[in-house]
Amino acid sequence: MFKRLVGAIATIAAGSLFIAGVGIYVASAKNDDRVLKARADGTMVTSKGTLPHFTLEMQVYPDSMFGGKGPDGGAHPDWVAYGDATNFEVPANSAITITVTNYDGGESLNNDFFGKIRGTIDGTATLNGKTITSVPADAVGHTFTVHGMANGQDELFFSVPMRAVPEEAMPDEGYTKTPNVTVFTVITGDAGEYIWNCEYPCGDGTIAKFGHAMSTMGYMSGHFNVVKA
Amino acid sequence: MTTTLNRPSASAHSAPKRALIERLNIFTALALGVISAVVVWRLALQFLPQDSEEAIFFNREDKITLLSMIAWFIGFMVGIGALIGPFRWVMGKDLSHDENMFYAGKDLGVKRYFRYTTDHKVVGIQYLVVTVVIFFIGGVLAMLIRTNLGNPEGGWIHPQAYNAIVGTHGIVMIVATIIMVTGPFGNFIMPIMIGARDMAFPRLNALSLWLIVAAAAPILWGLAIGGISTGWTAYNPLASQAPLGQNGYIMFICIFAISTMVAGANITTTVIRMRAKGMTWNRTPIFIYGVVASVALALPAFPVFFLSQIMSAMDRAIGTSFYDAQHGGSGWLYENLFWLMGHPEVYVILIPAVAALMEMAPVFTRNPLFSFNLAVIGIAGISGLSALVWAHHMYMSGWAPLLNIPFMLTTELISIPTGMLFLVLIGTLWRGRLWVTMPMASVFALLWNFMIGGVTGIYLSDIPADAFLHGSMYVTAHFHYTLMGAGLTGAIAALVFWFPKMTGRIFDAKLSWISFWMVQIGFQIAFIGMFLVGLAGQPRRVEGYAETFNTGNMVTTGGAYLIMAGMLVLLYALIHSWMNGEKASMNPWHSKTLEWTVANPIPLENFDVLPTVTTDAYGYGKEIR
Repeated sequence: MFKRLVGAIATIAAGSLFIAGVGIYVASAKNDDRVLKARADGTMVTSKGTLPHFTLEMQVYPDSMFGGKGPDGGAHPDWVAYGDATNFEVPANSAITITVTNYDGGESLNNDFFGKIRGTIDGTATLNGKTITSVPADAVGHTFTVHGMANGQDELFFSVPMRAVPEEAMPDEGYTKTPNVTVFTVITGDAGEYIWNCEYPCGDGTIAKFGHAMSTMGYMSGHFNVVKA
Repeated sequence: MTTTLNRPSASAHSAPKRALIERLNIFTALALGVISAVVVWRLALQFLPQDSEEAIFFNREDKITLLSMIAWFIGFMVGIGALIGPFRWVMGKDLSHDENMFYAGKDLGVKRYFRYTTDHKVVGIQYLVVTVVIFFIGGVLAMLIRTNLGNPEGGWIHPQAYNAIVGTHGIVMIVATIIMVTGPFGNFIMPIMIGARDMAFPRLNALSLWLIVAAAAPILWGLAIGGISTGWTAYNPLASQAPLGQNGYIMFICIFAISTMVAGANITTTVIRMRAKGMTWNRTPIFIYGVVASVALALPAFPVFFLSQIMSAMDRAIGTSFYDAQHGGSGWLYENLFWLMGHPEVYVILIPAVAALMEMAPVFTRNPLFSFNLAVIGIAGISGLSALVWAHHMYMSGWAPLLNIPFMLTTELISIPTGMLFLVLIGTLWRGRLWVTMPMASVFALLWNFMIGGVTGIYLSDIPADAFLHGSMYVTAHFHYTLMGAGLTGAIAALVFWFPKMTGRIFDAKLSWISFWMVQIGFQIAFIGMFLVGLAGQPRRVEGYAETFNTGNMVTTGGAYLIMAGMLVLLYALIHSWMNGEKASMNPWHSKTLEWTVANPIPLENFDVLPTVTTDAYGYGKEIR
């Protein structure tokens, strides 16, 4: 009986280890575990008073052959991607100025809602230095949209469209010399963990263009974590 | 069951000549399958034209993937030797007697289990091993799901990988539960139970098994190229837009559907044409009715499923629009085709498992089966009605709202024949002298689990309640109570019950009890917790959830770990008993059905002399145990 009991327990242990191994392997398949932290830049006077000010810079490329994914583009070189990282960390209760340089083209949004700038200071952004409140739905390249989570943390929602680079300005090789630069500022609340993603259908052939790069962390979605300052 | 001898056995056979069929086995099948897939993949990459600029989806990649999977399938089946018989027949050189004996595995020892062997007993054992492997894969995926759901925000597994795991777990477990009784026991036990030497079509028998093995590769392959992101239902047009892994699902279902159709035709013919002399329908064991009802339901259902996937493949690969409303198709077409298979399939799973327990209940109570006719009417009633309830899965889809009430009626009517089976089991237990073995305890477990699964199902059949409950974890808990709590419980009991006949050894009783209690207790913990979060509104198939559902999910995950431990004990007990178990006598349970009248190990052709049946199989008195 003792031998059988040991055998049964050993089987449970071996089975558990096997499942844990498969789980660890699957969990390790997450893309892009690098985190880009916001840089301190003095203070900013806002409607909520004078807040610590931080900056964050990111780019959108028509492929993933840059930065952390390496010159070969990593697992999916043809996928459109944000960069250099897709996981961001910003301080709580601060003003965060985000600069997005868009090197990619675009077609049309499925939902005009995301053509309007939402959740930034004054509901505005600057596009190549000019103040805007929206981008026409048929001229949007991508969006940077952070969704609030219904789990008790402070709500944080903002969505900013990036103007597409015109087709005639897109080179056959390399990246355009005239990217569109969008700058906007948001105010964070208390610490919390959020997911950001692009709402422009840029995932190409799957799930009505919401698959591939759109549904895989590390390309057109990632983490936007607010941490205690 | 009383028997008399009535004719002599077949003569001895001479040794087979060496031929191609002697060289083919699972290894040649794997090799030829892989080579075929790689060759076709390279050729398709080379010669298939690029998609036009206007192509919405990656049709070329779908074509390449599907062609490669088809090549794998054909290569595998050629490599295992499935086409030798038909080829020889077409060439006018049908297999000789010696070659047929070789195919039957005569004198091949362990090697016959790795070949295209036609002996139904070998096929039954192969089915058993395949079923265990499939359950193991599905179980690992289940534990990944439950571990990820241990935390409200998920996050351990990538959301896309989580979707693929949920979809694969679903379809893999459905297939495992479909074959878990009719595969191992329908093949090994059923022909002996009716007094036959083999199945009506032995080659088709082997074909149905090896088709399932061939089908495994596409679904595992699919996991590596995006997985099944649609859940096990693979609704269209979502599935038409899903990543390349969806092609694995399509091929898996197509091949499995062929296997099911082949097995259905074979089992039905065997039972109708090959029952022993004197085995009238009134003397045919109830397990046989369960198996026949199961495959008879599958016979019309799976061609429809097959067709739905062919159309899905065409929408993906060559740009048809069967399911694309924008171009004249309809998503409802897929939903109808799917559920025309999907609901009968529930009873394809359940009926043989319940019938197996109805077969065991008289043995362990030493009572006759209570109202044999009621049992047959119950099985027939469920089978008939199950073909008329499919659209209760579509109440909220917007398809034909006027038909909702008729479908609600047919769905609720099905509880009447289901109740008959409960009555039969309870009537058999009534005043019986219980021999409390693990299979006997499984009868009680089935009554409990099936009652909860059935009662909660009535709420889902009710349109207003379904409006609130559909798409929630309540549904998930409900169908686990029926398919796992009732179906799998019956299948495991059948394994322990018929293990002595299949292996010549007794299944370890202590370990089977330990496993039974771990699984049953874990099951109640896991799925009652799931009912509660489902009632509170937690959606199914979602990687994260609100914190309010956290406690229920922690409970469910804890229960799932207990089930896992219990199942691993069962796995160990299976291997240990098979290798080192106590040798079994010919009839350790003192049962009266024909399979217990043949010696261990069972001769190649089962009976030296075919039996004649003169009574039913349930003439138990209360004087012995």
